[in-house]
Amino acid sequence: MASVSIDKVWKYYGQTPAVKELHLEVADGEFVAVLGPSGCGKSSTLRMLAGLEHISAGEIRFGAKRINDLPPRDRDIAMVFENYALYPHKTVFDNMANPLKLRGVERSVIEDRVRKAAAILEIGHLLERRPGELSGGQKQRTAIGRAIVREPALFLFDEPIAHLDAKLRAHMRGELKLMQRRLGTTMIYVTHDQLEALSMADRIAVMNDGVLQQLGTPRQIYDHPVNAWVAGFVGEPPINFLDCRIVEEKGELRLVHSSFDLVLRPEQAAIVRERYAQREVRMGIRPDQIAISTVETPDSFGGQILVTEPIGGDMLVDVSLGGDKVLVKTRPDFEGRMDSPCYLTLDRGRWHLFGKDDGVALF
Amino acid sequence: MAERGAAAQLRWAVFSILAIAVTMAFLFPIYWSFSQSLRNPLDTFTVAGFGIPWVNFEPTLGNWIDQVGTPETMHALYNSTVISIAAAILALLLGVPAAYAVARFQFRTWKNQDITIWFLSQRILPPVATVIPFYLIMRTFNLLDTHLALILINATFVLPFVVVILRQTFLELPVELEESALVDGASYWTAFWRVALPLAAPSMAATGLIIFAFSWNEFLFAVAISSQNVITIPVHIAGAVDTRGVQFWFMGVRAMVAVIPPVLIALIAQRYIVRGLTMGAVKG
Repeated sequence: MASVSIDKVWKYYGQTPAVKELHLEVADGEFVAVLGPSGCGKSSTLRMLAGLEHISAGEIRFGAKRINDLPPRDRDIAMVFENYALYPHKTVFDNMANPLKLRGVERSVIEDRVRKAAAILEIGHLLERRPGELSGGQKQRTAIGRAIVREPALFLFDEPIAHLDAKLRAHMRGELKLMQRRLGTTMIYVTHDQLEALSMADRIAVMNDGVLQQLGTPRQIYDHPVNAWVAGFVGEPPINFLDCRIVEEKGELRLVHSSFDLVLRPEQAAIVRERYAQREVRMGIRPDQIAISTVETPDSFGGQILVTEPIGGDMLVDVSLGGDKVLVKTRPDFEGRMDSPCYLTLDRGRWHLFGKDDGVALF
Repeated sequence: MAERGAAAQLRWAVFSILAIAVTMAFLFPIYWSFSQSLRNPLDTFTVAGFGIPWVNFEPTLGNWIDQVGTPETMHALYNSTVISIAAAILALLLGVPAAYAVARFQFRTWKNQDITIWFLSQRILPPVATVIPFYLIMRTFNLLDTHLALILINATFVLPFVVVILRQTFLELPVELEESALVDGASYWTAFWRVALPLAAPSMAATGLIIFAFSWNEFLFAVAISSQNVITIPVHIAGAVDTRGVQFWFMGVRAMVAVIPPVLIALIAQRYIVRGLTMGAVKG
């Protein structure tokens, strides 16, 4: 068991910084997902934690112990790699037994622990096979098995389910979360898939371009993104952005778009007055926070339906709104037709306003 | 369908003829040596046609009986075997770790690329340029006409092959395999020894065979360094020249004797060579 402190850590490759002054505290037993697009520095961070990559500056501590200069084997960690990294010349059993063998654990104990782990992962019948004879899901389970046999203080998972098919991925999300809860081991999980991060992690660290953008619970990240980039990266289907203007009228602030115009509530207006001098803003609103109807209501504003996409339990509707395109998620029985008019209503409390240039969230 | 079949057959025929032609071109000198080895000295220059035994001349085993059992031939075989195997082992012992280091570690003062090119440049250097320096070195160390001298020299010359081929092999192994071992409790040495090395074994076997053949065929240094004790097979073959000219009939026998051991080893190790040299294609 261990807590992890990443303290002002930098990683340079030559002159190029990959991780910039990263600060991250992970509590003992916590499941933290590091989320970001490829090249955001998330894998470099994980590799520094594992000791596979030199730390250019800053300090990483496990508990109170500084581990910057410890070789990987002395860090008491287990890592699962994106490509599983199973030894092709060894059986599933020997693959899983390897961490124990390397540490000179007794033969009978190895046998016992490997069988137990294999039972948890439901691969007990595959122990004599070689990786070449396994499916993607079985390989992945073997790799996880190899990580859990040793009962390390910290799990490092690097995109472990990225290469599985969609159905299996959904299944493994649940299993991994359950496994981590049962074992109670601290877990740092790198992924580019926001759904994995949202569904599994206690907290998510969102990274972009080597910089930690936001650290928070999945709810915080989803409901209160700190900037337009996080808002755009997290959430599927993605958030809609609309360029708007702030207009002051009779002591009220109004948000004006070519097809609608809203009065900001006093608390919203106060934030804008206090923190934002410009007039140009970006509004961000998630597809499921817009109500769509074929009937006009007092608060609604008109648009034109471009495309409807039924996706089983929901329907996605592309709406043209004064030159912008807005994606709306609604019930599957929505009756609008393509090219016909529709009326949108915003969920009043649940949209966001971002600075036009810096993308920083106002609310 | 029938027409496509005909076209395919034609292609097959053309390729077969080409393949046979190329094979013939490679095999003919060996066949000719074999044919020579069965002839009486008198028949050497008078035989017509393709020198086919019984058709163009009456074969004799006399040359074989005269040559194969002689102490000189046996001694040359022994020398070549000892030198080639020892040179191959020495080159692998030194070259495999070097290849791994160049493939996996980042050197600061000299770039990895430059180190690899430096190794390779040893092969571009004409060996004849180093004959005299090597001779003088060996004389200084009192190693002239010893196995050790030829082992050291051959190992030096095949080392670049080992480094260049195995560097590529190691580069093609997924680095995560070793990293995983490191995380799981291995030292760098263990990761190399237990993970990288077994996976590179087919490639090492193939490389070992290639460099064995190199030392086996090496003539220049063997003739310069040896005088009596360490006459190798190529030198022995060349020794079939005497004051009356080339004794083609003996040379044929000696050439056959020289060809047989590498061919046998290659046949046995065929599987590994193909696997070793094509490993990049089937990794995973």
